[in-house]
Amino acid sequence: MLDSIVAAETPEGIMLELHPAGLSARFCAFLIDWLIRLAVLYAAAFVAGLLGGIGIAFWLVLLFVLEWFYPVAFELGRGGATPGKRAMGLKVVMDNGLPVTPGASMTRNLLRVADFLPLGYGFAVISMLIRADGKRLGDIAAATLVVHQRRPAAKATLDMVTPLAPVHPLPARDQGAVIALAARAPTLTMERLNELAAIAAPIQGTEPRPEAEVTRRVLGVAQWLLGRRP
Amino acid sequence: MTPLHFEQLYEAEWTELEAQVRLILTGRSRQSNGVEPIRGDRVAALYRRACEHLALARARGYPRYMLDRLEKITGDAHQVIYQRREFGVHRLKRAVLYDFPRAVRSHAAYVWLSTALFMIPACVVGWLVYQNPDLILSVVDAGQAAEFEEMYSESDRSIGAVRDADSDWAMFGFYIEHNTSISFQCFASGIFFGVGSMFFLVMNGVFGGAIAGYLTERGLGETFWSFVVTHAAFELTAIVLSGAAGMRLGHALVSPGRHTRKQSLVLAARESMVIIYGVAVMLLIAAAIEAFWSSARWLPLPLKYSVAAGCWIAVLSYLTLQGRRAD
Repeated sequence: MLDSIVAAETPEGIMLELHPAGLSARFCAFLIDWLIRLAVLYAAAFVAGLLGGIGIAFWLVLLFVLEWFYPVAFELGRGGATPGKRAMGLKVVMDNGLPVTPGASMTRNLLRVADFLPLGYGFAVISMLIRADGKRLGDIAAATLVVHQRRPAAKATLDMVTPLAPVHPLPARDQGAVIALAARAPTLTMERLNELAAIAAPIQGTEPRPEAEVTRRVLGVAQWLLGRRP
Repeated sequence: MTPLHFEQLYEAEWTELEAQVRLILTGRSRQSNGVEPIRGDRVAALYRRACEHLALARARGYPRYMLDRLEKITGDAHQVIYQRREFGVHRLKRAVLYDFPRAVRSHAAYVWLSTALFMIPACVVGWLVYQNPDLILSVVDAGQAAEFEEMYSESDRSIGAVRDADSDWAMFGFYIEHNTSISFQCFASGIFFGVGSMFFLVMNGVFGGAIAGYLTERGLGETFWSFVVTHAAFELTAIVLSGAAGMRLGHALVSPGRHTRKQSLVLAARESMVIIYGVAVMLLIAAAIEAFWSSARWLPLPLKYSVAAGCWIAVLSYLTLQGRRAD
């Protein structure tokens, strides 16, 4: 496998695909969270300044809580992600795809100290870069993963193409490939689409036809395979 | 069967499952303004059906958008159905009465090693500095040494001087932030094969010992010891315990036994987390004592020392005796 998908098997025997997040997405999420914390601490410092000793105590406790428990509180919430992670479309889950447990969330966030060493999250960066699943040390010990929440692919429509029966029956694998090509058609340039459709040309007949016609007929076969009939 | 036929056939079930899962996630379990109520049995049945549909759709190479949709539905339902709830008063009570002291005892070897790594440097350096106060300069610089001396002296700026409630609170905040960070550092750095925990234990031991030896030699022993001895019962124990938990992590990596190193680390982290929860509570108690009790110089010394002895006995007997009987 070339991509970094992690498959988690459920008791029902299906594979859930998890898409681990890489360094750049997680760095942006961290930066957003860091700025939020900084803003909260600045705002609190103004209030604390007015209150004197109790204000300072409140501020120091706030500093402590934000430092250690800000991620824990959000990860255990419904979204399973801090505001920064949510903004980047990331989420923390267990290795098996389940929501992160309190113990695991505490572990991964306490071990931030180790990830931070030798300076500026050095070990975390090294670990994320050399591991296919992008875990930092805290994630390894806690058995957690930071994953992309995927947006579902757009529904293939292409209603304007007339469905066309393939000239011979196609195995399931080829059917899938042709349908996938039709789904991708709107995102491809005309030239590239023609090139790709030419590979699948035998399914729409062997007599020579202009390029655009072949493409139109291949897309028609895709419509047929999806279940549309003329 | 064509993909579109398949979709038409089961579309209603998928939509129903999506709606139910959304209802569970938004936390509206009661029927309100015409929304259908959550039915657990129906969710489970629909989930299993959706899993079958996903497997079929994958095997037949159905279009990506349909696989994506089924993956999302089954993924969300899977999270809802299999999630674990670990909160609650009952669980907290269990942790205090049984889990924490038992976890400490089951890591006895690490706790003893951690104690030694902290206490031996503390005693040795403390004694050396007591014999030869100039040695303090190899641990802290002259400015810091003078600062410590002033803190425990009879002057107004000393730590024991009568201060107002406000600064008590401020110190409480400071102690929580400072001590917990030291303690968590001792734990987390254990992931580097235990070396990090050992380093921080020895370092904190040397530092504490040097200060204690220096101040005692300077004749400030009474102020110093009466200040630290009570909260030390919680604070030093907590630091030693987090060092022990950190070394457990490191040892799991060095000697994983029949597990892979990764599995072994995950198991060790899970077990040692119980200790860290306890440590966090102990540090909270320590900070409260340090800020509001230890600093009160007007209290008579015999009272302070007997409370300190009480604290030490309580902490040690809690860790050694509590939860021995079957629950």
